[in-house]
Amino acid sequence: MLTYILRRLALMVLVLWGVTLGAFLISHALPSDPAAAAMGNNAREEQLADFRERNGLNKPLATQYVIYMGQLLRGDMGTSLRTQNGIVNDLRAFFPATLELTLVAVVFALLIGLPLGVIGALYQGRPPDLLARTFALLGGATPVYWLAILALTLFHERLGWLPGPGRLDVYSLAPPTHTGLVLIDSLLARDPAVFWDALRHLILPALVLGAYSAALLTRMTRSALLEVLSQDYIRTARSKGLSSARVIGKHAVRNAALPVLTVLGSLFGSLLTGAVLTETIFSWPGIGGYATTSAISLDFPAVMGVTLIAGLAYSVVNLLVDLAYGFFDPRISFS
Amino acid sequence: MSKKAASAHKLPVFSRGLALALSLGLSLAGAQDARQSTLVIGGDFSDLITLDPGVSYEFSGSLVAGNLYDTLVIYEGNDLKTLKPRLASSWKVTPTATGSRIIFKLRDAKFSTGRPVTAADVIYSLTRVIALKTPSSFLLTDVANITAKSLSAPDAKTVVMDIPKTANPNIVLALLTFNVGGVVDSTEAKAHETNGDYGTAWLKDHSAGSGPFMLNRWDRSAQVALDVNPNAFRKSPNIKRVILRYMLESAAQQSSLNSGEIDVAWDYTPDAFKAAQSNPKLKTLKTDTFQLQYLGMNSAKGSPFEDPRVREAVRYAIDQDGIIASLLQGLGRKTQTIIPIGLAGSDPKIYYPYNPAKAKQLLAAAGKAGGFSVDFLVSTGSCAGGVPCQDLAAKVQSDLAKVGIKANIRQMVNSELLTAYRAQKAQLIQVAWSPDYPDADGNGTPLSDYAAKSLAWRNSWENAAASKLAQAAAIESNSTKRLAQYGQLTALLAKEGPYAILFQPYKPVVVQAGISGFNRNANGDVQFEKISKK
Repeated sequence: MLTYILRRLALMVLVLWGVTLGAFLISHALPSDPAAAAMGNNAREEQLADFRERNGLNKPLATQYVIYMGQLLRGDMGTSLRTQNGIVNDLRAFFPATLELTLVAVVFALLIGLPLGVIGALYQGRPPDLLARTFALLGGATPVYWLAILALTLFHERLGWLPGPGRLDVYSLAPPTHTGLVLIDSLLARDPAVFWDALRHLILPALVLGAYSAALLTRMTRSALLEVLSQDYIRTARSKGLSSARVIGKHAVRNAALPVLTVLGSLFGSLLTGAVLTETIFSWPGIGGYATTSAISLDFPAVMGVTLIAGLAYSVVNLLVDLAYGFFDPRISFS
Repeated sequence: MSKKAASAHKLPVFSRGLALALSLGLSLAGAQDARQSTLVIGGDFSDLITLDPGVSYEFSGSLVAGNLYDTLVIYEGNDLKTLKPRLASSWKVTPTATGSRIIFKLRDAKFSTGRPVTAADVIYSLTRVIALKTPSSFLLTDVANITAKSLSAPDAKTVVMDIPKTANPNIVLALLTFNVGGVVDSTEAKAHETNGDYGTAWLKDHSAGSGPFMLNRWDRSAQVALDVNPNAFRKSPNIKRVILRYMLESAAQQSSLNSGEIDVAWDYTPDAFKAAQSNPKLKTLKTDTFQLQYLGMNSAKGSPFEDPRVREAVRYAIDQDGIIASLLQGLGRKTQTIIPIGLAGSDPKIYYPYNPAKAKQLLAAAGKAGGFSVDFLVSTGSCAGGVPCQDLAAKVQSDLAKVGIKANIRQMVNSELLTAYRAQKAQLIQVAWSPDYPDADGNGTPLSDYAAKSLAWRNSWENAAASKLAQAAAIESNSTKRLAQYGQLTALLAKEGPYAILFQPYKPVVVQAGISGFNRNANGDVQFEKISKK
């Protein structure tokens, strides 16, 4: 198992290196000038020349890449062209907000998607199944953007049940940063008021972000479970006189978990990088907005940083999913 | 809620169930008081890069820096023609053999750190901008033509600035009102210097000024909180804290303004603004700007726009009234010359009433009776006045089509658009321009003088008479003469120039009915200390 993990980690390094090379080449292939983007419409030619000189943009592409990789190996992701901040600091500031939102969205997706999927399979063709399938269809087809505005208008503005945009109330003081996850930081600061505030702020955006995933999970769980329920061993289990709950809980769900797990892994990855719209509408200070601003202002080092961290998160989640296979199906070995 | 009060709740609170928390909401103790004395502005502040007055060159940065720092002189409120004292209680301009000398007398003022503002602080602040080569330092080096040697301090309350003949003292004073002239507590900045950066890294998210507010904290992409500076000489009636809350979307701002969470919304779309006008709980303000949204026509040899008659035809073909009424919902003004309304030198004359028939005649006279086809570069983002650029472009496209010009819209992100424009590669482009400082020269030189390598150059438009006029007007110190020169320049550009001005937008701002004293001027400045809340 340890060898397996080490081999996967080595492979991950290789993948991430590929990501740097790909992202570097693609971002530099654009026919536009980052100096002009950073200095704005009114900047003069001398200012642009000076900017290129200071940021090494006038060096050959290969040299720029070698310099970048040299920095990266020392743990330095370079400096943002737009803000002149260290990229590592930027990511540290923005990534946790997205991670927290995504984690809660995944939890919501699981809490909604799994039970609905199971119910759909067990009541196949009957009204509860219809409900599950309708949800799966609607959740998958509703644009995030529209859902976000609808949720905000209804639950915040009209009904006043939940707070509006942002991670915390305007008048709340953010807890001291340890992990960057406000839910955890507020607990560390023993500040339950801020914890509640943060949790309430998370509900709408996480539900909106998780809706599509919940729908997909419902569909996956339902079909995976239906397939398992038609297998011989289920019939055998039933004929042995096991209770229905035990058959479903012990045999069926466990065997249906593998495809669901696979979907969950890739969902998490896509949520992490796909939070842009939700973050924009809910004014969520996460990596989505950072990535967009960086991309449209041709801030190459920042774009590279975002790409790398997304790649890293994706790889780590995939590894965890693969390891979890072994837990659900002991026949899978890691040798 | 204070931390102490919060920790008294302890953890068992959590176990009371999610449903309860959801429905009851959490009342924050003491929040009511805080709400009364806190002004919350929701807006797109994503252009905020630094709060350092010497480095900041973006709208949001200038807005905040203007409340954290004082400049020597200032334009107050909407009067952007009359210079008012700020840190300088008085100033005098006298001619010298090499140019002119401005002597500033400083008032008694204190920084938020408690130290007095001295002439040494002023000189440090200006020289650090020159040394740092910040995005705005060209205003001091290239426009004002000053160096570290131009500045001296005979005593702690007097600053002397020598400027050469190549610079106009009136323009120098005008640009000193911009945050590039913000005065920093030099002792504080030096104390936080790292690697000879003049404290830039520290001043990015800390403040050391004498303005009415000081920085509490800036949570990037979330909010900026400013607290009242107890040492300031400009006092706020009842606002103790100002929070700029990042809200990129007009929809989010509407929702938060309607729910009472924010007091001021900054970026309404024209449609949302129209809806807010009929809401008695809100006040809608059409605030001035100096922005001009225009079409640039590349006049290079071989281009369809080489012939001035074709450029005139485009100006006749554009239905400005239609754009302002339908797309902007009235959030714009009609103007046709290069100096925006509100600056001395602007020209109110309507040279080109909408006339497609006349446009066709001109095209025929230019030998293009059958029309022509041209690439039309358009940003993917939002244009001046909050209109989506693609909507505006579609209107322009249909106007031009009526006279036979086929404009093929090519949408690209702004950075890419600017790169093409800068390389003189845009045939027809839809962009906006805003002057760096509130003076006619902020538009006169870049839009008219080919040698300045700015807009006239980007549109390959070289006109010796225009260059000469722009250069002369820039340094003319007699205001009557100067106005006459700008009159000639704007008329020349209206007839010959490579631009078709589309409109000068208003910036829509919506505030709660209980807010008074809110004013945003054409420079984008808001004096937070003048605002009060009921």
